[in-house]
Amino acid sequence: MTPRFRRLWLTLVLLLVLLAIEFGVSFLPLDPSARPLVLIPAALMVGVVVTMFMEVGRGPEIIRLFAVAALLWLSILLGMGSLDLMTRIEYQVQASYPR
Amino acid sequence: MSEASLTHEFQYSSARHQAETAISGMWLFLATEVLFFGALFLTWIYSRHWNQAGFDAGAQQTELAIGTINTVILVVSSFVYSAGVAFIEAGNSRRLIQCCAVAWALGVAFLILKFGIEWRDDFAKHLFPGPGFAVQGPLNGGARIFFVFYFLGTALHGLHMVGGLALVGWIILRARRGEFSPASYTPVIVVGLYWSFVDMVWIVLYPLIYLVGRGP
Repeated sequence: MTPRFRRLWLTLVLLLVLLAIEFGVSFLPLDPSARPLVLIPAALMVGVVVTMFMEVGRGPEIIRLFAVAALLWLSILLGMGSLDLMTRIEYQVQASYPR
Repeated sequence: MSEASLTHEFQYSSARHQAETAISGMWLFLATEVLFFGALFLTWIYSRHWNQAGFDAGAQQTELAIGTINTVILVVSSFVYSAGVAFIEAGNSRRLIQCCAVAWALGVAFLILKFGIEWRDDFAKHLFPGPGFAVQGPLNGGARIFFVFYFLGTALHGLHMVGGLALVGWIILRARRGEFSPASYTPVIVVGLYWSFVDMVWIVLYPLIYLVGRGP
C-alpha cells in the first residue's frame, strides 16, 4: 500500500472514531445549554475532511485564501447573528400595573 | 504525457494554469456555499435558543439510526471518491471508474434512506409541521420550528446530493471514454471537492438534527 492510500485509510478510521465519540457524547447527561458541545467532534471531522479529502494544502495558494475567507465570513455571520442572543437582558414585566 | 503536450483553452497560458483556475473556481463556489448553509445554521442557533424545550422535543422524534447510518455512508463515499482520485493519479483509470461507481451507489443509498424511508415515516407519524402535527401541548411551537428546520435542511442538502450524483455520473461517463490520464484529470478533482463538501455539510447537519436535542 502506498503512503497516499495508507493516509486515506487512516483518515477514514479517524473520521469514524470521531463520529463514534460524537455519538457517545450525545448520550451524556449534559445540561441543555451545554449540549451544543456535541458539535466539537463534528467540527474536528470537518477539519479532517477539508485537509485530507479536499487536500486544502495542495494546489495554488488562492484556494487557501478562499478557504480562510469562507471560515472568516461564516464566523462573522454566526458571531454577529448570535450577538443578540448573547447580550439581550430579559426584564420581568408586571402582569398589570397598580391603579 | 508531458504538460506541454496537453491542450488548453486560449485564455490560459498553460494546461496547468487552466487546471488551477478550475480548482480555484470550485473553492470560490464552495466558499459561497458555506455562507448559504451558514444562514441555515444561524436559524438553528436562534430557533433552539428561544424554543429550547420544544425544539429538543422535536429532535427526539427523529430516526437516530437512519441518521447515523447515513453519516457513515457519506463519510465512506467521500473516502472512496478520494481513493479514486489517488488511483487516476497513479494511472489506473479502471479503478477510478470503480471508485466513482461505489461513491455514486452510496450516494443513492443515502437518498433512499433519507427520502424513501425516513421522510416517509416522518409524514406517517404526522411530523410535518402542518395540521394534525404530532407534538401537542406547550412544546408544539418549538417542535414545529424544529421540523421546519429539519425538512428545509435535509431538502437543501438532498438537492445538493442530487447535483453531486449527476456530477459523479458525468465523471464515470468521461472516464469510460478514456478522457482522464495521470496528466489530465482536473474534472475528477473538481467534482471530488464538491462531493466532499456535500459530505461536510451533512457532518454538521447530523448533530444539529439528531444529537444535540436528544439527551440520555
